[in-house]
Amino acid sequence: MVEVLQYAKRRVDALRGDHEARRIHEDDLGTHFQLLILVVAVVFPIAVALAVSTKQTGVITGVGDLLPGSYAVENYREVLVDYRFGRFMWNSLAMSVVIVVGKLAISVFAAMAIVYYRVPYKDLVFLFILFTLLLPVPVRFIPLFQLMNDLGWSNTILAITVPYLASATTVFILRQHFLSIPTSIVETAKLDGVGPLKFMLFVLLPMSKGVLVGVSIIMFVYAWNQYLWPLIIIDSEANQVAQVGLQLLQGDVQGGQLSWSLVMAGSTLTLLPPLLLMIVFRKPLLETFSIQQK
Amino acid sequence: MSTREIFDSRIESALLLLPTLLVSVVFLYYPTALAFRTSFFDSSFGRAEVFVGLENYVGLVTSSGYHRSIVISVVFAAVVVVGVVVVSLYLTFLIHEVDTGQGLYLISVIWPYALPPAVGALVFLFITHPTLGVLTGPIESLGVEVDWFNNGSQAFVVVALAAIWKQIGYNVIFMIAAMNNVPDTLTETAELDGVGGLRRLVSVYVPIMTPTIFFLVVINTIYAFFGTFAFVDLLTSGGPSNATNILIFNLYQEGFSFFNFGVASAKSVVLFVVVGVLMFVQFRITDRYSYYGG
Repeated sequence: MVEVLQYAKRRVDALRGDHEARRIHEDDLGTHFQLLILVVAVVFPIAVALAVSTKQTGVITGVGDLLPGSYAVENYREVLVDYRFGRFMWNSLAMSVVIVVGKLAISVFAAMAIVYYRVPYKDLVFLFILFTLLLPVPVRFIPLFQLMNDLGWSNTILAITVPYLASATTVFILRQHFLSIPTSIVETAKLDGVGPLKFMLFVLLPMSKGVLVGVSIIMFVYAWNQYLWPLIIIDSEANQVAQVGLQLLQGDVQGGQLSWSLVMAGSTLTLLPPLLLMIVFRKPLLETFSIQQK
Repeated sequence: MSTREIFDSRIESALLLLPTLLVSVVFLYYPTALAFRTSFFDSSFGRAEVFVGLENYVGLVTSSGYHRSIVISVVFAAVVVVGVVVVSLYLTFLIHEVDTGQGLYLISVIWPYALPPAVGALVFLFITHPTLGVLTGPIESLGVEVDWFNNGSQAFVVVALAAIWKQIGYNVIFMIAAMNNVPDTLTETAELDGVGGLRRLVSVYVPIMTPTIFFLVVINTIYAFFGTFAFVDLLTSGGPSNATNILIFNLYQEGFSFFNFGVASAKSVVLFVVVGVLMFVQFRITDRYSYYGG
């Protein structure tokens, strides 16, 4: 009986709007406290890396050692110049930019053909592209290694970019987006007698800015973070990418020639490009993810 | 027929599709076919290939080392998937519950999406290092001796934790979108009925978010099987005593430590089947839930 009355009271309060007021008060400290602990846990490892990258030795013995040191400039200079990490970063950037631009271009072409052309077999072609989702790098890196040797591409930027250019995911996302562009716009273009090139440059691309930025960030993060394939196919230091270059730094730590502070400086440098892009472009990135899941 | 199909030149559409199809055939389909073929051969550097029929597969079926690798991969995937989904779900719920600081909380937990696995691995190596690690002291004060360079189960835990940490960002991105889609009226009704806190998460939000959670379970499983290579390579190299030797690392060793391309190709085919089954499961699930607006 009491419960029923309380229930009725809650309903009435809700109608009065008291409920809203209470809910805001209930934005309670407990929830914020738990969130803070979890956020600290997620950020802690990188905060340690950042702090250590500014120290002389990279040995941490107590909480006080987690404050920033005064060797930041010296450490980063040493990693970038003396250990040629600048070269690795540059190679990673070249690899990622070529993959993003190439993938974006040929995926826009493919998605345009699939959505805007009335031709037979295009559903079959779309399936043929989607089926490549079953063939990620880990499934085919052994034969791909042999193929690269046969082509003479080992150790070149071709080897770490061209195999990544075809992308089922990107074609899929672009197709979904193209299908959401209102038909009235497309029909107007047709009535105006717009050709395919003009249609792409002046209708399709301007209407797809957000998605194009979003998939570019997804592709950049994916390309920049590649580890296994460059590890296998690049074996000269001059052509190595940052992800694998880190391993070279770490090898020197175990050889006793290098302190952990330099490895952490290299790690911080390697994290920065994808992290900054993600933070700056988080809005189009999140919107594009919501297309991907459909 | 859709009014979007405003062009009908077969040559143009073929040209638009050509780059994606060409790369797909040469660098995705052809190497996969090559893997199937080589899996029936004895193949390595500097000696002629010899056809051996099913010998490589028979070798896998009877190899206790490979069986162990399969078991380790499955257990590892289960631990990583459950860990990632539970932590991400709870984090998402907490973020969903607060009104102030939501944007800041969100970015501080989704950033690991951009984290390169190689960086994550080295940072984890540093903070949990048996002699140097920041976390080693606190953990040992709890009565556990940190010895994961020699202790297999400890090594397994370290690799799993690092892998979970990296994948939280990606999961929260999708979960927050799904949770924000739960109608406010449902949340209000639940609150009025006194269904608060965790119970609201488990009995109201989770059922509605099922399509997203299934999608993430499949994505996380693929990640645990293949995307965690850098963690294993840099943290443990599959050791100690193969305790962290998951299938992808086992395959890498077969190819590039032992140079048995025939056996490695047979292992690639096994992984192809794993991807195939996972994709099929995802396809069926997406299909089943598409009626519910998933």
